[in-house]
Amino acid sequence: MNKKMIAKEICKIVNDYFESQDMDIIAEENTVLFGSESVLDSMGLVNVIVDIESRFLDENYEISLTSEKAMSRRNSPFRTISTLADFIEEQIAANEESDE
Amino acid sequence: MNKRVMVITGTRKGIGRYLSEYYLEKGFIVIGCSRSESDLTHENYEHFCLDVADEKAVKKMISSISKKYGKIDYLINNAGIASMNHSLLTPLSVVEKIFKTNVFGTFLFCREVAKIMSKNKFGRIINFSTIGVPFRLEGEAIYTASKAAIEMLTKILAKEFSNMNITVNAVAPTPAETDLIKNVPSNKIQNLLNRQAIKRFSKYGDILNVIEFFINQKSEMISGQIIYLGGIS
Repeated sequence: MNKKMIAKEICKIVNDYFESQDMDIIAEENTVLFGSESVLDSMGLVNVIVDIESRFLDENYEISLTSEKAMSRRNSPFRTISTLADFIEEQIAANEESDE
Repeated sequence: MNKRVMVITGTRKGIGRYLSEYYLEKGFIVIGCSRSESDLTHENYEHFCLDVADEKAVKKMISSISKKYGKIDYLINNAGIASMNHSLLTPLSVVEKIFKTNVFGTFLFCREVAKIMSKNKFGRIINFSTIGVPFRLEGEAIYTASKAAIEMLTKILAKEFSNMNITVNAVAPTPAETDLIKNVPSNKIQNLLNRQAIKRFSKYGDILNVIEFFINQKSEMISGQIIYLGGIS
């Protein structure tokens, strides 16, 4: 799964969330998810993270977005959909490597 | 899926086994776990062999339940271990073991199961505390400290999960005649029972009664509560 596909999947999940909350926004790769310009409140971000983990698990990609590694990065991987897609791509690659 | 799905930890024996059999009888699907195999066989029972503090194994168990049944309605965090000893005679390895099973295990199951419950916007989580917490029992410092941690976890998760329509409560039994207290001298147990308003052992049915109250559809306003048996507050 490459970054483009991952970002597309995240956009889908975020858009589902916006729709469930009656928010009139369309998610794109540069949509800000975390920080003062975020379109999500803190619980919104929690919900989206949980949805992303479980949607990827349904596709048999076991990712953990709440790892210490993610939380301690200088630049949060949750900042935008694009940075989150980078982080997930890294995790999937690392998992594949450790499976070999 | 119309059948209600319940996850219970520590189902091989004692209260966990009793609750499993009771809810299977009521037509629930029950998924249990313990460190070793269970001899409970029922078409609606599934058993996982795992250590409740093993993050990978717990995640795997919950995701496989989610895939198979599409939901989890109830979680009963029953698995627990105890070590009754003076703190000066308690090795750190025992402290670690007790906190791993009681606190880390309860936390892991709450976290992973709440993720599944949040999708259906419904869930009831029941944790286990002990009357040792309000009694501040000497000789049980570590076990009681681990249960105090569970009480605080229960109260805070009740807040964090409330917008997902998940309630989190705990039942705190008086001593019950289970393996947990088999090595405690009988005079110690009798002294403890004498401190209770209602001076007798908890029966499994007493614990079940509180669980039935917590999981009742009408109990949606009951969350973050610790119910002590035996008239203790």
